Amino acid sequence: MSPRIAAALGLAALGLLGIVWVVVQGQLPPAEYTFNNDGEIESLDPAVVTGQPAGRIIEAVFEGLVRLGPKDREPRPGIAESWELSEDGLTYTFKLRKDAVWSNGEPCNAQDFVYSMRRFLDPLTLAEYAYQAWYLKNAKRYSRAARGVEVGDLVEVELHEQPDGALEYARGIVLRGKLVRVETDEGVSEDDLADAAQFADHRTFVVEVDGQENRFRIGEAAAATADSRACRQLLLDFSEVGFTAPDDHTIVMELETPTPYWLQLVGFYPLWPVNQTCVETYGKLAWTEAENIVTNGPFTLEFRRIRDRMRLRKFADYWDADDVHVESIDALAVESLTTQFNLYETGKCDYITKVSPLTARELLKVDPPREDFYPAPQFGTYFYSMNVTRPPLDDVRVRRALRLAIDRTEIIATAGSVEQPARSFTPPGIPGYDPPECRDTDTEEARRLLAEAGFPGGEGFPRIEILYNFEEQHQTVAELVRKQWRRVLGIDVSTRNEEWQTYLSSTRQLKFDVARRAWIGDYLDPNTFLDLFLSYGENNQTGWGDPEYDEIIEAAKYESDPTARLAMLRRAEEILMDKGPLIPLFYYATRYLVRPHVKGFYYNVQDTHPLRYIRIERSEGGRRKAEGGTTASDAQASPARYSAFRLPPAAFATQGASPW
Amino acid sequence: MVGFIFRRLLWMVATLWVVFTLSFFLMRAVPGGPYSSERVLEPEIEATIRREYNLDKPPYEQYWLKLTAVVSGDLGASTKIRAPVNRIVAEGLPVSAALGLLALAIAFAIGLPAGIVSAVSRGTPADIALMSVATIGIALPNFVVAGFAIIIFVFWFELLPAAGWGSLEQLVLPAFCLGAPYAAYVARIARTGMLDVLSQDHIRTARAKGLGPLSVVLRHALPTAMLPVVSFLGPAVAGIMTGSPVVEQIFAIPGLGWHFVQSAINRDYPMAMGLVLLYTALLYTMNLLVDLSYGLLDPRVEWE
Repeated sequence: MSPRIAAALGLAALGLLGIVWVVVQGQLPPAEYTFNNDGEIESLDPAVVTGQPAGRIIEAVFEGLVRLGPKDREPRPGIAESWELSEDGLTYTFKLRKDAVWSNGEPCNAQDFVYSMRRFLDPLTLAEYAYQAWYLKNAKRYSRAARGVEVGDLVEVELHEQPDGALEYARGIVLRGKLVRVETDEGVSEDDLADAAQFADHRTFVVEVDGQENRFRIGEAAAATADSRACRQLLLDFSEVGFTAPDDHTIVMELETPTPYWLQLVGFYPLWPVNQTCVETYGKLAWTEAENIVTNGPFTLEFRRIRDRMRLRKFADYWDADDVHVESIDALAVESLTTQFNLYETGKCDYITKVSPLTARELLKVDPPREDFYPAPQFGTYFYSMNVTRPPLDDVRVRRALRLAIDRTEIIATAGSVEQPARSFTPPGIPGYDPPECRDTDTEEARRLLAEAGFPGGEGFPRIEILYNFEEQHQTVAELVRKQWRRVLGIDVSTRNEEWQTYLSSTRQLKFDVARRAWIGDYLDPNTFLDLFLSYGENNQTGWGDPEYDEIIEAAKYESDPTARLAMLRRAEEILMDKGPLIPLFYYATRYLVRPHVKGFYYNVQDTHPLRYIRIERSEGGRRKAEGGTTASDAQASPARYSAFRLPPAAFATQGASPW
Repeated sequence: MVGFIFRRLLWMVATLWVVFTLSFFLMRAVPGGPYSSERVLEPEIEATIRREYNLDKPPYEQYWLKLTAVVSGDLGASTKIRAPVNRIVAEGLPVSAALGLLALAIAFAIGLPAGIVSAVSRGTPADIALMSVATIGIALPNFVVAGFAIIIFVFWFELLPAAGWGSLEQLVLPAFCLGAPYAAYVARIARTGMLDVLSQDHIRTARAKGLGPLSVVLRHALPTAMLPVVSFLGPAVAGIMTGSPVVEQIFAIPGLGWHFVQSAINRDYPMAMGLVLLYTALLYTMNLLVDLSYGLLDPRVEWE
């Protein structure tokens, strides 16, 4: 053999060895419960993430004062063993259990909650969900930092310098005192002074600390001037916020207004605690890595392999460990709907969050019906919003006409699968709330209204454009709506698609006529939908506003009788459905698949299935009935069933294909 | 040779710098940013995010800060997956490399023999059949191949797992789907190269001396016929790397490919920049290696 051939063969062998080595590194024993978590999550920091996939993991590894039940989403004791609400509905007192510990062995007590809440509200933490805690007294003011304080307030000033002996990523030295006055710089225009983004740039804050007046400029060390010091930030004193710990095992929360759904929010992961030692030792990014993270929930994070999976393991010292029934969990990060479906069908996954609309349609046709597929309404609405700053959409008759001309059944039949037609903004499913519906399709009335608005038969109606972000389903819906409006009203409609980020900035700047939108509720209350369309709501993005609507929503906040409150919200939604800038098209529906041997898994409108309550019961003969859950059925998960199950090739058409 | 390599490396640095500069400004020319989300952010939060990513500074200053950081080997932290880009690359690159290497191996293992056989038996039904398959292979994008491969090997015959990472079995289908179109290319190129060589004088001499057909083809014709195939290696590596996002997505392989696409969509500047630079360096290195291998295969080539 010539040396050249030997060298080539050697190289090839080396390459193959390398492949084998990399693959061996990736080998793992399977976990007891494997589910697909929709994709790679942003972070495990409860304060900064917003998505559902991250939430699933965070709710498994952390625990708040309360956690929500798997079926009715009712608050159950978490780190708090009990709580009381004052007569006026404004003060909650939580009693913390004494046996709660962090995974590093430290006890989990009230101080951890205070630390975490302060961190959550601190604008430097970049908590997008901070507004979920603004029901707490003064919390919003704290979050607004320098913009939230007024002369005479107690304030805290965080310096750039660190206290002696502090951990590397701890806060700087904090001085507390009274804000005496705020001096604005000379020669700065009114507009710049009013601009929220540069608020701190043009002001000097005078604070009285220990009887002495100190002058502060907010910003980098370079912001200091001859007679003032630079500070990192200036906020309302946190003691002013309605979140205090009178002792190590008590938390008192004072709310701005009675908030009937407050416990739902306390059970929502952004308000859950993090471990101070861990955060301050490793800093913003590194503390959530598997080798550093300290948690207090039923599971701990064993490892995270980016874009592959996260493995969770039962936390033996969890206060209720006896009631946690799964030893290890794998959360896969598969994005493609088709791929997750293939994994499920080949038995590699016990639960997938959704199947593609195409697959859903095929699954519905299967005979006998599949026991593991159970489409049901979900807490989200797909709708079209109209920009009322652009005529003729400013005319309520035009908006009504456009709404009446829509045929939702046709849209779902073509672009959807298991969704339900929507005629209200709030989806059904909130206990005690029956959402008022707008009128169904009425082409006659639609034409009459359009004529009344001055466009008989669509004559003289300017061309309007439907904006959507690029995705196949949105495109189909947009084309259908265009066709329906043209058919019924005789108006000229065009469509425009934009890539997600571009679409976001267009809708925000009101650069559209009609735009596709969707809203998923954060908590089980109509308010999570209705406050979107307050005239000053940041996410309104239609230019629409109605004084009566605003008034009712605001007044409802102070109504302590739940029935009366829901009646008020219903009245507000009636206004919205009559005059408002939106056309509800359909409510989202759950499209998950879950194996019959997964118990403790229940349907709920939020489509949330906490890992904490999951149990695996693989019965041998497969005849045991499960209690409750939607998947309650005879467990006949024999492999033969999956191989016998056939779908037409279209169902396997690869998802990844669409953008290419 | 050392001078040649040194000069090429200098060019690589220049190329990287140009790519860096172009990507830097292109990224900022598109609307949106890493802080865009569906909900509107409070001005304080938005300002802090902008400060954290230096977006509040003038572009030239951002450029300089980024350049110095990149030169010192710090690619920053991804804005979408809050982890250092270096770590994401360290986790994903071996996976992508294993997939790519196996795909290349499959492409050559199938393509090379097919090309040689069809050249040697030129004009016979075998030749026509092989080349027809190759033409179809070139025309079919890898996600179509993947769809069919999954239906056949996963659902009909239940031989291979549908997706995932952690065993060689799981790597077979993705590597095959990624490599298949390249096998077709290699077959066509090898056939042309082989036909070219087989008509040359030294082959006739070898035959006249009474050497067996196998010896003639493998010992005397193959090394020269390999030249065009080797030069295809550069573009093939490029194609396999840029083609891998789709295959990685379909087979849930935790490689780098999907990050490459996703980071652009998410306006994840640090991640996108890191990957663009990494891919540039990889492609450049591959081309350099191909150039160097010419010298080994063909004594007529000199490095200049």
